[in-house]
Amino acid sequence: MRINLDTPVVESREQRLGTIIAWDGKASELSKQSEYARKSCSSGCGEKGRRLCEMKGPFTQGSVCSEQMVECQAGNIRDAVLIQHSPIGCGAGQVIYNSIYRNGLAMRNLPVENLRLISTNLKEQDMVFGGVDKLEQSIRDAWERHHPKAIFIATSCATGIIGDDVDGSARKLEGELGIPVIPLHCEGFMSKHWSTGFDATQHGIMRQIVRRNPTKQEDLVNVINLWGTDVFTPMFKELNLRVNFVVDLATVEDLAQMSEAAATVGFCHTLSSYLAAGLEQEFGVPEIKAPQPYGFPGTDAWLRELAKVTHREELAEAYIAKEHARVAPRIAELRELLKGKKGFVSTGSAYAHGIIAVLRELGVEVDGSLVFHHDPIYDSEDPRQDTLAHLVDNYGDVPSFSVSNRQQYQFYGLLQRVKPDFIIIRHNGLAPLASRLGIPAAPLGDEHHALGYQGIINLGETILEILSHKKFHEDLAAHVTLPYKKWWLDQGDPFLLVKGE
Amino acid sequence: MQQTETTVTGARTFPPLGPKTNSIQQVRYVCAIGAMHSASAIPWVIPITHCGPGCAEKQFGSLAMCNGFQGGGYGGGAVVPSTNISESEVVFGGENRLRELIRASLKILDAELFVVVTGCIPDLVGDDAAAVVREFQDEGVPIVLAETGGFKGTNFTGHELITRAIIDQYVGDYAGERTPGVVNVWSLLPYHNTFWQGDLSEIKRVLEGGGLKVNILFGHESEGIPEWKRIPQAQFNLVLSPWLGVQTAQHLENKYGQPFLHLPAIPIGADETSSFLRTVVKFAGIDPAPAEEFIRKEELTYYHYLEGFGEFYSEYFWGMPAKFVVIGESAYALALTRFLINDLGLMPGGQFITENPPEEYHEAIRREFQTIASDVVTDVAFEEDSHRIHTLIRQSDFGQKPPIILGTTWERDLAKEMRSAIVEVGFPASYELVLSRTNVGYRGAIALLEKIYTTVVSGTA
Repeated sequence: MRINLDTPVVESREQRLGTIIAWDGKASELSKQSEYARKSCSSGCGEKGRRLCEMKGPFTQGSVCSEQMVECQAGNIRDAVLIQHSPIGCGAGQVIYNSIYRNGLAMRNLPVENLRLISTNLKEQDMVFGGVDKLEQSIRDAWERHHPKAIFIATSCATGIIGDDVDGSARKLEGELGIPVIPLHCEGFMSKHWSTGFDATQHGIMRQIVRRNPTKQEDLVNVINLWGTDVFTPMFKELNLRVNFVVDLATVEDLAQMSEAAATVGFCHTLSSYLAAGLEQEFGVPEIKAPQPYGFPGTDAWLRELAKVTHREELAEAYIAKEHARVAPRIAELRELLKGKKGFVSTGSAYAHGIIAVLRELGVEVDGSLVFHHDPIYDSEDPRQDTLAHLVDNYGDVPSFSVSNRQQYQFYGLLQRVKPDFIIIRHNGLAPLASRLGIPAAPLGDEHHALGYQGIINLGETILEILSHKKFHEDLAAHVTLPYKKWWLDQGDPFLLVKGE
Repeated sequence: MQQTETTVTGARTFPPLGPKTNSIQQVRYVCAIGAMHSASAIPWVIPITHCGPGCAEKQFGSLAMCNGFQGGGYGGGAVVPSTNISESEVVFGGENRLRELIRASLKILDAELFVVVTGCIPDLVGDDAAAVVREFQDEGVPIVLAETGGFKGTNFTGHELITRAIIDQYVGDYAGERTPGVVNVWSLLPYHNTFWQGDLSEIKRVLEGGGLKVNILFGHESEGIPEWKRIPQAQFNLVLSPWLGVQTAQHLENKYGQPFLHLPAIPIGADETSSFLRTVVKFAGIDPAPAEEFIRKEELTYYHYLEGFGEFYSEYFWGMPAKFVVIGESAYALALTRFLINDLGLMPGGQFITENPPEEYHEAIRREFQTIASDVVTDVAFEEDSHRIHTLIRQSDFGQKPPIILGTTWERDLAKEMRSAIVEVGFPASYELVLSRTNVGYRGAIALLEKIYTTVVSGTA
């Protein structure tokens, strides 16, 4: 399954990986059906990912689109501009991703500023006559206003349907301005899952920004992340490695030098799959083929693989031993404090596998989890990256493991199944319902919070903090009315209306 | 589109900036489907969205969360059903999918009225959403449709489409009597105006204080659908905003023969609020005595607090901004400018109207600003693109002290650069938590003073 950088349009997740957005069962069963680490891929695995049985139902609540993920990646690059080629409504995201950008910059100790997104503000007559003139005007405005190092263009449902030649305009203006002008095809309707938007951004970056004739920097490691706290620099210092954070909060030069790095890692395979695999395939930068760095076995294996690839085995072993000893006493205390507590994880796919591992390290029971999608395989196709198998093999099964793209109406029933004391979330929309049921949530806005050895402690402390909020949520729960009919709330099965296909 | 030269104060003129382009950097309004929030702002009403997978979430995250962290309420936020249109509905049409979603929504969600809104995709591929909704209406389901394709307008014009859809498709015809002393209020845009809940509450409180019975229509102080059903029975409509709601009131006049009173300025402070109440009471022709008694009591309280403020305002040692800049939608920009000029004696340093009001209202809005006070010259600039707005402000000379900026999150960097106090009073206000706070009427004016001058004082040392 090669990544194809020849065309400007990225292949969607469902085409490449067989991604699904609705499924219900045991984690072990999903892992088996994914036929990833479980079986040799010579049997029954087609060219394009794995075919999983996916459920489909008549009722759906607002999801998230690929264009939003482009905003939160390409729109958060510090010296670039993102043009939203769309009617003004897509620009609503400017507000959301500005808030994330500003707080992300603050967390990373970078100067806080507004992001640079420009809407082409298409109107009715543009739907008839086309919007490329406005696109070119906005690209020129972006140049005049900011002299950015690169200009990205996000397409929209509307421009996809009317068929604007965005690639043509981008080529023309790239020649004129002398900087990369990069079309990112991310029409919301083109993919059922928003993570295709990550891939669209990464596709454009690899095609037009990453340096083709790199001078290798043997101590540089690409870290594909979002805006989280810099927990990598202190860790990598122990291995004599340097961090190159991409894509959010990076500069265009940081992106360009990705081809010079010694290796690529990520905090979540959902986010990093495409870019890491592409960098290896096209630029020879090895992707670290290991489980994600969550919990002891995952972090150990991840560090060892990184050390192997960068030839720093001894340093890594010393660091691993030192860290194990350092964190052990507090983790033992946290296990006591969290004894008998039940947690529920509802986050992106691969990230959830990691977080559940950390909770189990802390002795927290996890009987249920909801992931927003499931990739049966990642782009590398390497079984060492099978995060779900890693979870099941090292920490046991998760009896109620559901895939549902942030469908709040199903979340009620899922919580009833396992009655957790708290939930862990990353995207919005689910915690408000949990709160109305008296259940506190730990929102992991800082995606690095639970990462590595220290992450086990961090997550434990955060759970203690939010458990103390229970008073608030229980009081609220006693005084609110849910918008769901009693008939629906009384159904035992959150997937009642949803059938397999 | 050629930019007209923009004057701000009598003495100053903004230098001409290059011509306006289509570009909008840092949005200050969203598209028509964003007005789905006007549906969820009515108690027990739930919107159903027929659009791409990100539209509903984006509008919610933007308008309701990163704007005062207001929350989605009963039927908004992540509750909102969406067809999450995929490629097959683009190719083959999405009517069946919409029908399926409506039927399932009726099973799962408990609403007194569903409002179907459409996005760019169905409006481009030509789905006959009206036919689908009519099938349900024919079955007696309380459901209406507003076609709010993103390229067709803003969340302001979308608001009027939704309002009109409910009136025409649900409230329906009425030929009976009208009840004296009952008023329908059409004012701030729910959710987009960060303070809409508290403000509508205060407006209702003031009108009730004057002896009127108020259909406030949006927000938790509305009775919801039964109140909307009674719209035709009201004596008159009150449009309290420079232009939003005027079309609705004109429509109601045509439809029910219901007169309307249009007051462009939402009152802030005792002078404005007392005079506002007297005007409405006079228009209604009801006994003015209860209003006068209410005004007397309210002014006692108001001036008690204002006296306290006066000590601070007169002898605060460390300097006070003399000028202010307002950047926002016309209703708030006008109300705030009037209050700051007429009640506090501040000097206007720039007024920007940012919601792109329909062209036909520009002149009237401009006139409202020009006639605020006889001794102060004010004008407005109609600008939607923050880059232009910030450039204009940077080019201005504010004299010895930086102005107070009453604006949005987009002005945070500018304020830092200018060493100005920034008060986020409008969309997007991503660094304010707003629940019941109000800036209008008697109580809101005091709260506004507290907010502005807490910001000024806390920035000093």
